[in-house]
Amino acid sequence: MMTTFVIQAILSLVMFGFVFNLAALHTWIERKQSALMQDRVGANRAWITLPWKWAAPINWLLRPFNVLGLFHPIADAIKMFTKEDFIPPKADRLLHTLAPCLSLFFSLIVFAAIPFGDTIEIGGHVIRLQVANLNAALLYVFGAASLGVYGIALAGFSSHNNYATLGGLRAVSQMLSYEIAMGLTVIGIVLIYGSLDLQELVRRQGAYLWGWIPMWGAILQPVGFLLFLAAGIAETKRIPYDAPEGESEIIGYFVEYSGMKFGMFFFTDYLETILIACLATTLFLGGWQVPYLASSGFLFPWGSHIALSAFSVSLFQIASFVLKVLFFCWLFMTIRWTLPRFRYDQLLKLGWQYLFPIALVNLLVTAAIFLWWVR
Amino acid sequence: MPTLKIDEKEVTVPPGTTLIRAAKELGIEIPYYCWHPGLSVAGNCRMCLVEVDKMPKPQISCHIQCQDGMVVRTQSETVKKLREHVLEFLLVNHPLDCPVCDQAGECGLQDYYMKHGLYDSRLNENKVKKGQKAVPIGPTVMLDNERCILCSRCVRFTDEISKSHEFGIFNRGDHSEIGLYPGEELNNKYSGNVVDICPVGALTDRDFRFKCRVWYLKKTESICPGCARGCNITIETSHDRPTGVENERVMRLKPRFNDEVNDWWICDSGRYGYHSIDQNRILTPLVREGTAAAKESNWKDALKQACVSFQNLMAQNKEQIAILLSPMMTNEEIYLAHKLFVETLQLSRVLLLGVHPNGDQDDLLIRSDKHPNRMGAEWLGLIEGKEVTQKLVSEIEKGLIQGLFLFGQDIVSQFQSERLNGALNQMRLSLFIGSNYNQTVSSARMILPGASYAEKDGTFTNFEGRVQRIRKALFPLGESRSELEIIQSFAAQLGLDLPSQTSEDIFLELAGSVPKFRGMTYDTIGHEGVRPA
Amino acid sequence: MIKTKVVSEPPLNFWERIYLPEVFRGLWITSKHFFRNFFLHLAHAFGLLRHLKAGVTIEYPEQTYILPKRSRTRHRLTHRPDGSPRCVACMMCETVCPARCIAIVAEEHPDPNIEKKPKSFDIDLGKCVFCGFCVEACPEDAIRMDTKIVNTAAYSRPAMKLDLNELLNPTSSS
Repeated sequence: MMTTFVIQAILSLVMFGFVFNLAALHTWIERKQSALMQDRVGANRAWITLPWKWAAPINWLLRPFNVLGLFHPIADAIKMFTKEDFIPPKADRLLHTLAPCLSLFFSLIVFAAIPFGDTIEIGGHVIRLQVANLNAALLYVFGAASLGVYGIALAGFSSHNNYATLGGLRAVSQMLSYEIAMGLTVIGIVLIYGSLDLQELVRRQGAYLWGWIPMWGAILQPVGFLLFLAAGIAETKRIPYDAPEGESEIIGYFVEYSGMKFGMFFFTDYLETILIACLATTLFLGGWQVPYLASSGFLFPWGSHIALSAFSVSLFQIASFVLKVLFFCWLFMTIRWTLPRFRYDQLLKLGWQYLFPIALVNLLVTAAIFLWWVR
Repeated sequence: MPTLKIDEKEVTVPPGTTLIRAAKELGIEIPYYCWHPGLSVAGNCRMCLVEVDKMPKPQISCHIQCQDGMVVRTQSETVKKLREHVLEFLLVNHPLDCPVCDQAGECGLQDYYMKHGLYDSRLNENKVKKGQKAVPIGPTVMLDNERCILCSRCVRFTDEISKSHEFGIFNRGDHSEIGLYPGEELNNKYSGNVVDICPVGALTDRDFRFKCRVWYLKKTESICPGCARGCNITIETSHDRPTGVENERVMRLKPRFNDEVNDWWICDSGRYGYHSIDQNRILTPLVREGTAAAKESNWKDALKQACVSFQNLMAQNKEQIAILLSPMMTNEEIYLAHKLFVETLQLSRVLLLGVHPNGDQDDLLIRSDKHPNRMGAEWLGLIEGKEVTQKLVSEIEKGLIQGLFLFGQDIVSQFQSERLNGALNQMRLSLFIGSNYNQTVSSARMILPGASYAEKDGTFTNFEGRVQRIRKALFPLGESRSELEIIQSFAAQLGLDLPSQTSEDIFLELAGSVPKFRGMTYDTIGHEGVRPA
Repeated sequence: MIKTKVVSEPPLNFWERIYLPEVFRGLWITSKHFFRNFFLHLAHAFGLLRHLKAGVTIEYPEQTYILPKRSRTRHRLTHRPDGSPRCVACMMCETVCPARCIAIVAEEHPDPNIEKKPKSFDIDLGKCVFCGFCVEACPEDAIRMDTKIVNTAAYSRPAMKLDLNELLNPTSSS
């Protein structure tokens, strides 16, 4: 019992450590990637240099971090924590404080259901590389992610500010609209793989079509994949779908937030980006699957075989998962720095008049083909 | 009654009317410098030239009288050319020192150049420099001969209106210049008016000198409170930028034309009497214990304290309370005070007391009664009597009066009495409501800061019975409040049901109940005031 | 008469209207820059390909941009030969200033031929929009924006204000 508990604790620590660090790093990625895309240098002014003579070797080691601006996330954190935490005089103090916490909480707990590897055996314990093994994980993921909307709606409502309220309303209607399209695309996947358990979904994506094409979601559901990405980015409320926030001019639900409470919303944005990346990986890119890697090593379709220990197979799988997630993070960031914002009517039109019907048709076609296939 | 045509428009005017007035009647604008409706005709600026049919040369419209069947053109090419050339000629010796000239912004030369000139300068010769720049020619006026265009308005003003004959034009041709006769100084009681009538920057106001550019001024129509004449004025204020004088919001007063009261003029003591609006003001309620210096208080506490003492006195004996209203107050304030103290509280000793010393008087504007609203107070039933006042003062000195409300009167300096000073100090409640510090303030038990006349709305009735509006040009300085507000909040503190009304509401109520004011509203009073039907 | 040019937007074709290919085209362009600069930064780190620039950024305190000759920078007031300000406090600049950042108080000049001079002349750089209207409006060539001082930042609002003395003797540290 105790060991199970310890193992669970370690697993959650690993997962949260990964997610938190990646989210913090996202501020750095955001700055640096946009800089590279725009022929700039990017933030590189948060330097840590020790003033003493004997610290020269340490400074030499710190230099690359300084030059790359890797201390900016820390500087950000210090700034967020030390800024004045302002609550508007007429705001609802409880809800105003609760809102960012809710947002952050619901976007964090979703990660519990994401499998980042197959089982691993250490000292006789078979450990599933997943914080919570739920047999209806997909429903849990969608349920928890949807609850995040409450944080936003409350933030807009409790600030006692018209701009915030309008921003909150925009956010809620956008997230509801796109959740429907997203849910429909995922049903296609569920239909094909026949499970709601994410771990099981990933396992089933390890099969091969005609013996050599990995049966990943993106290959069986290309339209669904694109729809999922489109709807998923909308869920993160980032450009081009940032009508709820629009920090630069229209002002969104967190206009009355400052300090770390604002930081929490900001962090939630990044967490949601990672969440969508994780989900896209899990549902459409085979999760932790590496093509042709079985539990005993690589088994290529042309017959060759590279034997690997079970532990290194697990490492390969975890690395595969991480790389795929990072790829999606990069992709989302590229999209965010490429496309202009949709107008609000365009945004809702895209959700209801295009994504939703296409997802529906996609689902029907999938179901039809699947029926015919099974017969 | 000659009928003539100006610019194809027909007009019939009384015989003897000059063309420029007839054109004005038609709304046709003819430029002029030397002509002034209040002065005699000089005809030397030549700016008002117009073409008249059957006359060989263009005529000056300020001088020529309307004849039956005249056909006049004021907008023909010839006339336009003439104006341009006259202007060019007037500007030959005029220095281009608009940047340092206080007249800039309200200068006839600037205005007409933009309207009728707009030529390119052809002048190659050096300008003839006349006299010195910036010569003070009296306590109020600065003369700059370089800028003068010799319209002679100032000369005519001192000859015809002030009849003090200080100005003359000296030398000839290019060298002619205005100046004072030897040994003279421009120090008559109306000297400031020459600044108003000077169309250029030759005569400027020493008091206004470099304080503020004229285009920054916000203008509010009002009435001069300096004497019973009630001259129409414009209060010109600047309060959103630094000016030459620190903490002064009123920059200057200008007379406003009203042919029933003051024509175009105002006396110097009225013109320069605005400093009390911003200086020496009481800014917070003050409360004094014994003979010590008064302590700053706030409205809430001060009103409460005043009320408690007042109610105690009321419960004891109403006869020991006296309310002194002043002819400096507006009709609305007097009416409201009367309503509160006489009708509601049934006090018997509500008196009118105007304590400023009576002054000089002349035939033009200045009245000996230095109160703007004695007539209004009389219409409202408050007539000042010498014996009653004297009796009251002696009663105060004897300590028979224990509650005294003073609306702005400086009785201590008026009656020059040490005993009065002590009596005010010993009184249970001696309440002074007013805007400026004076000797009474330094002995009264309680002081509530009132608004100056530039900080409130209301009406004054001048000695001829003309009811005229004062308008709020500024917000009350510091924590001061208008007297209406003070009376209303005092009544509210007493728990009386005196509705909080604007001065306009109160005036309507007053007009309904006081026969002399019957039918008047702020709209019918308008800009010029109105007399009872 | 203001010249106007009517630009008719070209109609979108089918592929542009379904948006997806355009998204990919945009992503292609931005990714190209991303990978090119990524590669160049890496190469620079190893001392290679130094002649190819990976960014156009001018890293300000160390590198400074050479200002164009006529660029508008912090104001200064010009002098008369005797060192007093040329300004006659006509308040043209204050009047024309769209940001209302200039505040002038005038006083008498001892020389009646000059008559007027500024008692105080304050410019609030926190409000100034550097439009240069004040220079255009000045009838005396008394105010110019040619100090080439651009580092006008300060830690407080009062420190952003320039007084008469500062304007007459501009120093680089505001």
